[in-house]
Amino acid sequence: MGALEIIKSDYIRELVAKGERGDGRKDMDVRDIKITTGTIDHAEGSAQVDLGNTRVLAGAKIMVDDVHSDTPDQGNIVVSAELLPLASAEYESGPPSPEAIELARVVDRGIRAGNCIKLEDLFLGEGKAWTVYVDVYVLNYDGNLFDASTLAAMSAIMNARIPEYKDGVANYENRKEPLNITNVVSSATFAKIGNSILLDPSGEEESAMDARLTIATDGNVIRAMQKGLSGSFTIEEVDKLAGIALEKHQFYLKHIEKAKR
Amino acid sequence: MRQFVTPGEELPKETRRNEFVTFYSGKPYSNILGFYNEAKNEVVPLEGMWKPQVGDSVIGVIEKPSKPGIYNVVLSDFVQGLIIAGKYEDSYDFKANDLVEAVVASVERKRLAILERPRKLAIGHTIYVKPVRIPRIIGKGETMIGQISRLTGTRIIIGRNGIIWLSGGNMELALKAIKKVENEAHTSGLTERIKQMLEAESAARS
Amino acid sequence: MASSLNKPELIVNGKRLDGRDFGELRPLKIEANVLKNAQGSAYLEWGNNRVLAAVYGPREATPRHTADSTKAIVKCRYSMAPFSGLADHGRTGPNRRATEISKVTKEVFENVIFLNEFPGSEIDIFIEILQSDGGTRAAGITAAAVALANAGIKMKDLVYAVSAGRIGEHVVLDVNMIEDNYSDADMPMAISPKSGEILLLQMDGGLTKEQLRKGMEMVIEAGKTISKAQRDALKDIYKK
Repeated sequence: MGALEIIKSDYIRELVAKGERGDGRKDMDVRDIKITTGTIDHAEGSAQVDLGNTRVLAGAKIMVDDVHSDTPDQGNIVVSAELLPLASAEYESGPPSPEAIELARVVDRGIRAGNCIKLEDLFLGEGKAWTVYVDVYVLNYDGNLFDASTLAAMSAIMNARIPEYKDGVANYENRKEPLNITNVVSSATFAKIGNSILLDPSGEEESAMDARLTIATDGNVIRAMQKGLSGSFTIEEVDKLAGIALEKHQFYLKHIEKAKR
Repeated sequence: MRQFVTPGEELPKETRRNEFVTFYSGKPYSNILGFYNEAKNEVVPLEGMWKPQVGDSVIGVIEKPSKPGIYNVVLSDFVQGLIIAGKYEDSYDFKANDLVEAVVASVERKRLAILERPRKLAIGHTIYVKPVRIPRIIGKGETMIGQISRLTGTRIIIGRNGIIWLSGGNMELALKAIKKVENEAHTSGLTERIKQMLEAESAARS
Repeated sequence: MASSLNKPELIVNGKRLDGRDFGELRPLKIEANVLKNAQGSAYLEWGNNRVLAAVYGPREATPRHTADSTKAIVKCRYSMAPFSGLADHGRTGPNRRATEISKVTKEVFENVIFLNEFPGSEIDIFIEILQSDGGTRAAGITAAAVALANAGIKMKDLVYAVSAGRIGEHVVLDVNMIEDNYSDADMPMAISPKSGEILLLQMDGGLTKEQLRKGMEMVIEAGKTISKAQRDALKDIYKK
């Protein structure tokens, strides 16, 4: 960290210790969310999510693949994430960083564990099945990529239309049927700074955070969790945050539903 | 039997503060693998790196001089030594790979040891022992190393960084004794046992 | 999670397939100081898992620009041997899963190591899964903690890890491979036993809030047994 970042991070820690946030939010407030779907015509589904100043774009491509030998009656969903160099001065081009891999795998885990798409539904017969490739592109970083990316990936697959399929070939000129979405997940990411915990950390809050906890739920059940960084949480904190994440799902769901088309 | 301690293990209330004791909720805990010395109520580490302190005698290897009169000295994986001619004495004439003994004059950023009174060591045998066991090898008032040197007739120079230089006498026996102290550093009555071993083996030889 | 086809009955007469109770650990055996070259090392057998962990350093950080002049940096490589699986031949080298596990493992140990003691240096943790039977990241962390202590690295605490999971309505401890393949949730955790703080928490599947609570409590309870095995392994070095 450079000197400027250290000063900034100290300032944030002081602020948070007083129970305040840089942008005037309360501890469990989420920044403004804007979801726009269908922005990329070539993709079978797409969604851009603005979460405060964080912007991510998710594209879903639906491709015909051979089935895996261990799952002969299923298709697959594959989530990847790229922290594009244009999104932050901190990001560099090159192979995916551990941070990008973690982001992709946590988003993937929530959607997969939530059974949002039944993989059996993607089976085409005769050893073929659809693979849904969801690529999350981080366009501008201002904290909380996990929740923004889950919103974007979820919205992109809900926006997707399956190509017409005949004799082993997909016709991308003709896309009509939506994917059969059987569950919707959202995630809530919390930052622990000193002894305070904040929902939806901004970029400057993340620069000061000691630990991070992402909890993906479908409103009834916790579907995936990931703790990050070297700080810690207590059992009581995880217990409480799981409750908040379950409650917040309705709020996220409203935004996802509104953007659906 | 010694009471061994591991990181995160609670210690008796009366434990004396040292760098291997961490307090949590007002209670003392060990932060290192070691043993509890009940006579002194303190934690003695059994493993760990050497951390240079002013006054430590060390043994190191001279690297290729970067500038005239400035010598980098390899002391450990972590600590670099530095000899600067003119800082403490006028000039030195060391070559790369020379073995030197010296004393730590100051420490910068925990990993740069400025050395003084460097002296080139003649050809001898060098071994590496765990630095945390060096105090035991030296012994209280140098009793341990004194008896090893006396009973084997070997000249021994000890570096706090874990490097030991030996020359002359029954070097094989001296090495064996030093290794025994290193491996049994946590046991008590060691000085006496080493003495018996040295006397028995010297007698067998002569 | 594998397909629900051919799903075996995982619980029969209130016992798990390997005869364990819901809250019972698999047999755990740890040996410390097993590799000569490493500063510290440990070998662990946990059920059918076979794990080797080794620590090098603190040593000069390379490449130089990765060094932090104020503290030591921790590097971690978790890797599975190609022959470690029962059915498949894996690929060597880091894949996405291993990269993620390496990252969260590194973060666990950044919490407990006294990093300020060795500015500018790196501490390398190598975890090799020689045989895998579910819960390898927890086994790797448990072994690495022993290797770090064996290396004489100052730490706040000796971390342990284990996973909880759910099979049907039952919350269970220490999920093995077959249970993991068909279970309804898996939740690996790493704990600092002194404070009970959670240093690693991952989960996928489905848990209600109550099941989450129960799983976390099981993990804390299991710490007594796992910590003892770790501490005994370290003390045994000097009793030979």
